[in-house]
Amino acid sequence: MIDKPSALVQGTLDMLILKTLALEPLHGWGIAQRIEQISRGVFQVNAGSLFPAFRRLERAGLIDGEWRATENNRRAKYYALTKQGRRKLEAETKEWTRQIAAITRILEAQG
Amino acid sequence: MALIRNLAAGIRALFRKEKANAELDEELRDYLDAAIAQKLEGGMSQKEARRAAGLEIGSPDAVREEVHAAGWESIVETFWQDFRFALRMLRKSPGFTTVAIATLALGIGATTAIFSVVNTVLLQPLPYKDAGRLVAIWGSNKARGYTLDLISVPDLLDWKSQNRVFESMGAATDEMYTLTGAGEPYGVIGYAFSPSFFDVLGVPPLLGRTFATDETQPGKSHVVVLNYRLWKTRFGADPGILGTNVFLDGQSYTVIGVMPRSFQYPESVMLWTPLTITPNAAKDRSMRWVRVMARLKPGVTMTQASAEMNTIAARLQAEYPTTNKDYSVTLESLRHLISGDVRTPLFVLLCSVCLVLLIACANIANLLLSRATARQREIAIRAALGASRFRVVRQFLTESILLSVIGGGLGLLVAYWGVGELVAMFPTTISNLSIPRVESIPIDRWVLGFALLVSVVTGLVFGLVPALRASRVSPDQSLKESGRTGAGGSQSKRFRNALVVAQVAFSLLLLTSAGLMIKSFLHLVRADLGFQPDQVLTMRVLLPSYKYKTPVQERSFGDEALSRIEALPGVKTAGTVTFLPLSGWWGTREVSIPGRPVDPQKMNPQPVWGSVSPGYFSAMRIPLLEGRSFTAQDSDTSAKVAIISATLARQLWPNQDPIGREVAIDGFDGARRVVGVVGDVYQLGLGAHESDASDVKTEVYVPFDQEPTHLLCFAIRTAGDPLSIAKAAQSQIWAIDKGQAVSFVESMDELAADSLALQKASVILLAIFAGLALMLASIGIYGVISYSASRRTHEIGIRIALGAHSSDVLRLVVGEGLILALAGVLLGIAGAFALTRFLSSLLYGVGAADPLTFLATALILLFVALIACYIPARRAMRVDPVVALRYE
Repeated sequence: MIDKPSALVQGTLDMLILKTLALEPLHGWGIAQRIEQISRGVFQVNAGSLFPAFRRLERAGLIDGEWRATENNRRAKYYALTKQGRRKLEAETKEWTRQIAAITRILEAQG
Repeated sequence: MALIRNLAAGIRALFRKEKANAELDEELRDYLDAAIAQKLEGGMSQKEARRAAGLEIGSPDAVREEVHAAGWESIVETFWQDFRFALRMLRKSPGFTTVAIATLALGIGATTAIFSVVNTVLLQPLPYKDAGRLVAIWGSNKARGYTLDLISVPDLLDWKSQNRVFESMGAATDEMYTLTGAGEPYGVIGYAFSPSFFDVLGVPPLLGRTFATDETQPGKSHVVVLNYRLWKTRFGADPGILGTNVFLDGQSYTVIGVMPRSFQYPESVMLWTPLTITPNAAKDRSMRWVRVMARLKPGVTMTQASAEMNTIAARLQAEYPTTNKDYSVTLESLRHLISGDVRTPLFVLLCSVCLVLLIACANIANLLLSRATARQREIAIRAALGASRFRVVRQFLTESILLSVIGGGLGLLVAYWGVGELVAMFPTTISNLSIPRVESIPIDRWVLGFALLVSVVTGLVFGLVPALRASRVSPDQSLKESGRTGAGGSQSKRFRNALVVAQVAFSLLLLTSAGLMIKSFLHLVRADLGFQPDQVLTMRVLLPSYKYKTPVQERSFGDEALSRIEALPGVKTAGTVTFLPLSGWWGTREVSIPGRPVDPQKMNPQPVWGSVSPGYFSAMRIPLLEGRSFTAQDSDTSAKVAIISATLARQLWPNQDPIGREVAIDGFDGARRVVGVVGDVYQLGLGAHESDASDVKTEVYVPFDQEPTHLLCFAIRTAGDPLSIAKAAQSQIWAIDKGQAVSFVESMDELAADSLALQKASVILLAIFAGLALMLASIGIYGVISYSASRRTHEIGIRIALGAHSSDVLRLVVGEGLILALAGVLLGIAGAFALTRFLSSLLYGVGAADPLTFLATALILLFVALIACYIPARRAMRVDPVVALRYE
């Protein structure tokens, strides 16, 4: 079951992108890779949902895009977290933890 | 912040689409390269890596579309596409477009024009501070049948000190003055305001100041505030007027202020003087003579205020039973006071014009349905290519709203022309109704907003069902079928039929209303007002009290003026009366039999009184029913006499001869012998009044020589056109007294016409709307029946081939239409029965459920429907079976 990459829980992609960018600015491919790596292959994101998410987050002022040279000297658009994005990530993380804790409690109580 | 950024980014993306797309492409390419590079590292060949990465990412076009859809600007873009497509579609069928836009322009234009009147008359804020809190307070005595009586000063003072609902109260009374020293002598109506009245209304003067509290005291009260119009016309808008003196009734008044143009309370008043209260008036509770205006405290409702005031009135009733028995209080909002009589007619007209618009919508919906049927292939192809139902509906709605907005734009031109005609609906001379003086009807931002709203809503109303219908297409079905037979369907037909039925029903409703109003109006025009208004010149003269101090002086003026005027060529006979019928001026007095207490129920309302010269009845052609008229012998020194009207005679002495009996008239000393009975006169005209003053038709007359008055209204019966002697008659007054003002020189016919002007305008407009409705409905029936007949060409061809006669075909086609029309008529009659009772306050001499009107309008509609069906039926009769059968 775990071998097959899962679809992302609705609405969590934005949060994962923010989390990924919390460490350092990354370009599109880098973000996709990082999400896959950190989740140990559980989550696989495709370009079709990744790019609209970038556009959304950029419009909301949570991330900022900037064209820069890559390690191998190509131009790529790097996304970085804005101050607002950082605040949003903190808030979302807290909320997420709270919900997960609650759900876990419910599941354990029934088990 | 985020919103602005989002907006800015969206607008950038809209206008620099190329750049945005190029950037996205580069980003995607970069992503792909990185993916390939990783796969290469993993040991794949160049070709394999490219293929794998491509598979993973999917179509770059799809990604681009999804990114695009994430921003709001994509909606704008689709709209723009839809809009351009809609324009192309409309241009492709100019016939349909022209008919639809013309119908809409007419419908929306008429609606907007009527709304602009409502906006001007009822919705625009009144030019007073927080006008919603202004309330007129009237005395009410239900037992005697008045609800709008004046107030005594002691009552007012008690109200002021005891109430907790009003912030302030002001008192006023009307005065008439002769203004001299500024051009020709000029009769002006003034209002005496208590100093607080200006504060209650809350408007500061344009120049100078309003009254100080001590200016009600004798010796200080000769100050005057002018209205804008008087200041402009008589004093050349001179800013130096403050402190100068003007002469009112020969006495000098200092001008202390000028009110701004918008301040015009009451409408007909030209100047304001301070209200002075005599010591007697300050004590006497039975002297009811002031009008009261009050300002509600913030947050207090009319109901609360009314409850509080009636509690106080009840306390006063108990405390002062002799004067205050049965007296309670009526509250009336300022808005109602100003425009009360015009509300119902305007409401009826607005509803009617909206119905016309709805009928027009039904026609256009019908046209759109036919078009949608013709466009089924196009829709099927769109659906096959992946357009969602929502997308198709949106595109159709864009088309219909585009239509209605263009129609609305042209409709504004119609409205602009229309309001010019509508201003005439409010002649400034209507004096017997509460109608605001309307000088212009502006097309302001509210009207523009209304037009836009109506246009969009109209587009949705007529476009939504056709759009939903059209979008319900399964692509494989309709692509396979030939466009002709597959289209339509029974559901769509049912909807069309329902539209026609609704149109007929609405038209019937309008026709019936118009019919009732026309009938009522004819009654009014032909109604006997109690006098003959044709060929009578009228004018009003107010003798200033400073010059005419004694009854003798008044009497000699009246007698001389009449004999001079009667001597003029072209004058048959002339008379004077205190209050001219239909003039909007009248006074009432209690009339009783001496020694017998008045039964207020029977004397309800109080009779109008008049002091008349002997020639008055013959000049007005008021018929003498019994006894004799006044003569020159009924003088100051002879026995006191009176003439009463027929209804009053019946009220006082049912079934008995009144001649020779005695009456007591409140305000005149002693008993008077009744010498004659004359016909009733409708002093205030007929119908149209919301107030209880309507249909006052009891009168009591006394001889002018016995009870002379300051106010004399002349009624001069002429041989030819009454206005031709207007100049000569005025000069005769001036020949007696150069400084005497003569006002309201007009023919009685004009007065009578003006008193019916509002009804006339309502009737004309309603008739126009009903005519439009009838026309639109007949077009609707015609359209549906001819469409249905043309779809049945094949069937009709077979019938004819099998031996059907042309009369059978006629019956088939006409029958289909008539059944629809009949259904509509039945529904319409039911609706009209339910709704015309709202008209009843506007109707005179005809019931709201007048069977004759109902029958006539139903027949008219069925007849029109028959004609509308006959044209397509004739076409169907001429179907050549060979052609019809080969057609498929």
